[in-house]
Order: sequence, then structure tokens, then C-alpha cells
Amino acid sequence: MSDQRLFTAALLDPDAPCPTGLTTWNGSDLARRFAVYRNNVVVSLIDALADTFPVTLELVGDEFFRAMAGIFVRAAPPTSALLAEYGEGFPAFIERFEPARSVPYLADVARLELLRVRAFHAADAEPLTPEQVARALADPERLPALRATCHPSLGVLRSRYAVVSLWAAHQGIGDLARVDPFLPESALVVRGGLEVQVIALPPGGDVLIAGFANGLMLGDAAALAASAHADFDLTTPLALLLRHGALCSLN
Amino acid sequence: MSKISTSTTLSATALALALGTALTLSAGMAVAQDADKEKCYGVALKGKNDCAAGPGTTCAGTAKVDHQGNAWKYVPKGSCEKTASSTSPTGFGQLAAFKEKKS
Amino acid sequence: MTIQSLCQPSARGAPTQRTHPDGLPARAGLGLKTQHFTEILATWPDLGFFEIHAENYLVAGGPFHHYLSRIRDRYPLSIHGVGLSIGAEGPLDIAHLDRLAALLDRYEPRSFSEHLAWSTHGGVFFNDLLPLPYDPTTLTRVCDHIDQTQEHLRRRILLENPATYVEFAASTLDEATFITEIVRRTGCGLLLDVNNAHVSGVNHRRNPQAYIAALPLSEVGEIHLAGFDWDRDAAGAPLLIDTHGAAIAAAVWDLYAFALERLGPTPTLIERDNDIPPLPVLLAEARCAERWIGYARRDRLEASA
Repeated sequence: MSDQRLFTAALLDPDAPCPTGLTTWNGSDLARRFAVYRNNVVVSLIDALADTFPVTLELVGDEFFRAMAGIFVRAAPPTSALLAEYGEGFPAFIERFEPARSVPYLADVARLELLRVRAFHAADAEPLTPEQVARALADPERLPALRATCHPSLGVLRSRYAVVSLWAAHQGIGDLARVDPFLPESALVVRGGLEVQVIALPPGGDVLIAGFANGLMLGDAAALAASAHADFDLTTPLALLLRHGALCSLN
Repeated sequence: MSKISTSTTLSATALALALGTALTLSAGMAVAQDADKEKCYGVALKGKNDCAAGPGTTCAGTAKVDHQGNAWKYVPKGSCEKTASSTSPTGFGQLAAFKEKKS
Repeated sequence: MTIQSLCQPSARGAPTQRTHPDGLPARAGLGLKTQHFTEILATWPDLGFFEIHAENYLVAGGPFHHYLSRIRDRYPLSIHGVGLSIGAEGPLDIAHLDRLAALLDRYEPRSFSEHLAWSTHGGVFFNDLLPLPYDPTTLTRVCDHIDQTQEHLRRRILLENPATYVEFAASTLDEATFITEIVRRTGCGLLLDVNNAHVSGVNHRRNPQAYIAALPLSEVGEIHLAGFDWDRDAAGAPLLIDTHGAAIAAAVWDLYAFALERLGPTPTLIERDNDIPPLPVLLAEARCAERWIGYARRDRLEASA
């Protein structure tokens, strides 16, 4: 076993003995000094998760979150030095984490927060301008066959829980006590300009966007959404997408 | 997706009406965005920064100590206690099998 | 003095022989923190340079690049890598080197630096700067990795001396000799972290002044100053933790003055990565460093007169 292999095994396993071959000037117990490294690794990675999942943390409290995140960090440490990408597997971990079962919506709130960080760092792209939309409208016969592309930051989360309302209540928007977490909501996450927006999608909006993302023509995507939801209204999701700069081309 | 035939395509008239109305509803979007451009950081509610970017890197250590504990000893004690019916039977039992809702 | 004029070569500190003409100005700089983005754009503080952590900016787009581009237009930039893992037993991550090269091409920093440490093993990133034994095998490996890095990035890098909490029984060289040999073999420069010298000095009961004096000081391209936290080891001896989470300690300012006496005016970064205070607090520390740089410049002028 290499020296660094031994060192790292002891970093993530609090019960593992301190690696051999270390010394101190005063012959003091090495475990105390090695604990600094152990602590740096685990605490900094828990802090990283706390930064990415602030509402998840608030929902369960600091003590519970850090204990849960500590187990995740030891089981699934990052594989890349780009910490902005760390935590991809955290929502699925939360879902399987028995002590978090009493908060069944927790994993989906974490999924929403992951989409926000992803959107924050996604590539830049110019949103569709009103002039471009007007040009498309000038030739209505061609509209059904046009295809829209989504902004690189766009993400959609379909949830059986009220993820948007729960998240918004933690931003001081609305009263948490009045949110029924068990009302299904779909979230649109997109970065317009510099700010990441979280928007509740009307019924069928998620289907429409999935259609766009999959390269369906406008007419087909709209029809698919209408067949999925009897009360689908095309105007509302389109207005949301345009207002928040979520579409980049219409050709 | 290949099942979609032209007969399920929305008509050009319906599309034009919806897109035209959407454009009107979203009017002023470009102006609003420009005005927003520089106000991102540091203006959001404290601790709830709307522009939270996730974690950053560090080349420093930490003096915070991780108190290794058994998480199953802990119960969620956060804002979830304020949400309605967090013990509602409707929320239980289905969790493990949760999949993205297929409409 | 306006910022524009500060960015002109004539307004920078009198160039010393050591400072590469394209290097950082011999002034004080600050680590660029996201909390301060808008305030910097609103006030354009009088500063020698900003430094970023490379890995935070290896993202596709968004606000980080938006603000950095604007700040880069007005200030010299230093890019400091925290994730290359130069001391790793395994090979360097070529994809990571490629990403770094692209970032350096985009922002053309005056300086790029990395650490004498490792952070990756077996495909896992540990997010800490882990210590190395100072022996011939490690020396060869570190030099190979620095050669490879300098070739890949097509530039000289600065290597930072570490803060450590343990030492290795296998070490046959002292840290200063180890670093001197790396600099000799690879031609890399040195980022002298004065706080690390102090922290390691206390932790291993070495004399930090003797340590600094034994380093190849003519190759120092930048200095780091930071704050630490106090702890004790199992025998009750002081154990300092390099947290970058506090004001710079008096002992570190003293050691900084000692280093500047030998170095002359040197670009100096105030590093704060935890418990980040309001910008004016950090600017005050930067002004303090600039006073010391000013003394060093005056001493040099008097000595040459």
C-alpha cells in the first residue's frame, strides 16, 4: 500500500489508526495532530454541501444536516477539484437516508438547490429578443415547424411536493406554515442575466419544455403538453419562458 | 416521440395567438433585465443570498471541529417543524419508491 | 491616484531586479471574494492586484466570469491553484491542466501559483493541502510534476511553501533544502507564505527566520499573509491551524518585515478565506502591508544611493 493510500484511508475513516511514519518534535500523540487533517477534509466538504444546500439545511437544522452530510462525505467524497460540482449524489442519498424520512420532501428541495447552483455556473447565452419573436410571428404558417432552444442554465424539476413554495418560503416569500408540502409542483430554474430564478410552472409547462429540450417542433411540443394536461394553456408557460430569458433561439 | 403525427400538432393559428399573447405579457423583459444586471450580489436577504453560488475552494484549514456522531440519534429540528402535516400519512411509505412524476 | 494610472507600469513600484517585468506589481493585493464583487465595482479600491483561486472559475459562465472580467480589466490578476495536487503519488490530471491552461489563456494573469502539497489520491479529491515527506523519491516526483505543469501551461509557476501539522520519519532533507532543490531543478519561482512559515515553525519548533533565510529568496515572486487559529497538541504544545480566518498576527507581521528586509519590495497578498470581513477591513490590512513594502523600497534606494 502506498504512503498516500494509507494517509487517505485514515482521513475518511475516523476509526482507522493514524498512518504510520509520522513524527512530531515533542513525541506527542500523533492522533491529535493528524486529526487536524481529518477535520479539515471532512468539515470543509460538509461546509461545501451546506453552501450548495442552504434550504435543505434550514429544513432539518444545522446539527442534523451536518451529521447527515458527514456520512455522505465519507461515503462519496468528491472526485473533482471543482467543488461547485460536488453534491450531485446528495439528493439521492437523502432519499435513502432513514432518519430523514419524516421530511419526505427534503430530497426534492435538495434537487432544486442543485439545479440552482448548476444554473448559476452554466454557460452564458443571449436570450431570445422580442424582435426575434416578432419576426417568427410575422410568418405564422411556419410557426408549428419551428424549434426553440433552451438557455444552457435551464433546468426543470417535477416534484410530488411543493418544492417551489417550500424554497420560496425560506427566501422570505410567503409563510412556511401555510405551505402544504404535499401539493405537487414543477419548478423551472433558469438564470436570466446574473440571477437564478426559481419559478413554479403551470400544468403541462414541464412537458412543453422537455419537448423543446428534446428538439421537438413547436407545434408537436405544444400538442404533447396539451394531451398530458387537459387544462394546459400554452400562453402562460411561453410568457414565463420569454420573460425569464429561458429561450435562446426560435428557428 | 416518433408516435407524434402531424394531426397532434397544434394549429398555426393557435400557436400564433399563444405566442403573440405571451410576447405581450412578457413585454419590457429586456429593459428589466438590463436594470437588474449589477444588483445581484450582496443585496439579497442576509444568509439567503439569491445569488448563492454553492461552495468555493479554499487553501486553508479549519478550526471548526466535526463532532462525529450517529445521525440516527438526531431528528430533524429545523424549519420543517413549521410546515403543515409533515407527519401526514400521505407523505409516508411512498418515499423510497419516489420517481419523477410521469404525467 | 486613479486606478487607471495604478495599472500603468510607471505607477507600479520601482521595479526591482527580482520582479519579472510582466509579474505582479510590488504592492499589496487581496483575494477576490464573491461577497465583495459589487462593492469593488462600485468603489474600485486602490489595490495592487487581485488573486483568485483557479478552481472557483473553472465553470462555464455566469456571474463569476461576469465580475472577474470587469475586475481583470482594471487590476493586475494573480491566479492561485488549489487543486492540481503537484505532490500526488499518481500522475497529474491532464484534463485539469487543460482547464487551467484555458483559464490562463482567457485571463492572462501576471502570476500563476500552486502548492507544495497533494490533495488527490485514487480519483478522490480531499480538498485539503496534505503534507509530503522530504526525501529523494518525493523530490524527483514533485520536480517531474512541476516540469510537466510548466510545459503544459507554457509559463513559470510559483510554488508555495506549506503549513503542516505533522512531519515524516522518512524525511531526509529539511523543508528549505527540499524547496531550494525544486527551484534549482525546475526553474520555478517561489510563493513565500509567511504565515505558513510561522505556523509550521511553531508546530515543529523550528526557527521561521532561519527557515526563510535558507530559502532561495531571489526567486520569490509573491508573498502571502494570513491569519491562523490556536490549538494545542496532545502534549499541550501550541498547534497553530492555518485557517485564513483571522486578522494577521503580530508575529507574522514581524516575520514579514524580516522577509522584506531580505527581499526588497515584493507583491504581497492578504489572504482571507474564512469568516470574511467587510472589504474595508481587508483594505486596511493591505494598506499596512503597503507601508512595509514602502519601507523596503526606501531601504533599497538608500542602500543603492
